[in-house]
Amino acid sequence: MKKQLYFLLLLITTLISSCEKDDFCIDPITPNMIIRFYDATNTANTKTVSELYAWPNALDSIYSNASSDSIVIPLDVNSNQIIYNFSTGTNQDILTINYEVEEVFVSRSCGFKAIFNNITVTSDSANDWILGLTTTLDNTVTITTIDDETAAHVQIFH
Amino acid sequence: MYRFFISLCFLLFFVDGKAQETKDTTLNDSISYKTNYGFRIGIDLSKPIRAILQNNYSGLELVGDYRISKKWYVAAELGTEEFTTKEDFTNSTSKGSYIRLGANFNSYNNWLDMNNEIFTGFRYGFATFEQTLNSYQINSGNTTFPSQTITTPITEDGLTAHWFEFQLGFKAEIYTNVFISFSGSYKLMISVDDPTNFKTHYAPGFNRVYASNTGFGFNYTISYLIPFRKK
Repeated sequence: MKKQLYFLLLLITTLISSCEKDDFCIDPITPNMIIRFYDATNTANTKTVSELYAWPNALDSIYSNASSDSIVIPLDVNSNQIIYNFSTGTNQDILTINYEVEEVFVSRSCGFKAIFNNITVTSDSANDWILGLTTTLDNTVTITTIDDETAAHVQIFH
Repeated sequence: MYRFFISLCFLLFFVDGKAQETKDTTLNDSISYKTNYGFRIGIDLSKPIRAILQNNYSGLELVGDYRISKKWYVAAELGTEEFTTKEDFTNSTSKGSYIRLGANFNSYNNWLDMNNEIFTGFRYGFATFEQTLNSYQINSGNTTFPSQTITTPITEDGLTAHWFEFQLGFKAEIYTNVFISFSGSYKLMISVDDPTNFKTHYAPGFNRVYASNTGFGFNYTISYLIPFRKK
């Protein structure tokens, strides 16, 4: 009886000590905003931006001297507005992004993520290098929701 | 490898066959050893111990069983628990009470009038509880805009959980009618309510709800048998 009791004690101790963190966050969490750069004259074609800098107001650059036809920028989950500066060479334009934050529970290890609704992106009217956000080169575009990172959310024509 | 198992089966078969040859020639024993039948009531000692060791836990559990035959006991546990789950992005507290109903089968053949048990049991468990999301942080996935911790508690009550569990344990009679029991359990959730836009991380009586809707538990109880009769 005593021997069996010791065995069970050992078994239970093993069980309990093995009940450690076993799940890691692998599900998609808060999506970033994906911006794709297009040619303003031939709107169907993507166009690479060189010497690209991107930074939110009063914060460090997210892209420094990059050369790409698409960028990924985070949105602030604690705010409803974020202002981004984009520059190439000596030209600088400002994008104002307004949005609503919705909290969605993902899982135990991932916690809550945010998805963004009713997003309005407005480019400043200076049009230094960003000529528009739609194929008709409007300076404003609205997006219903950003809840994943599978496709570009915003097009920038330059 | 299969051949090994097959030979092993044959071996065991023959060994078993030989063991059956001894003839039962003993006369009926006139002395029969009687054991106590009655209602056994106790308390789970592991819960107060856990409450001392873990500051995010408190709980109490009363256990009871009633012997209905030589091997079978009707058993139940009744308890209350409060546990705070601390995860990377959430901190939540579950608080509520539970009942587990079922039976134990004693598979141990006692010598003489000893009254020990090696038992397997099954239970149906039911809990009613509330879960409070004490604080959380949105998993923003970036360091440019670190998300703030939101500390407004959100409570949802009236949550229920139903589960089925298997138990395996020992009982030893340490003094007359005083028993110490140690058992472990494996739980399978039948259904559990989740708070709106959140998840039940811990259900009283069930313990942590794993992603596969399973759970584990253990009991260390001391109980006293109120003997009704000897049989």
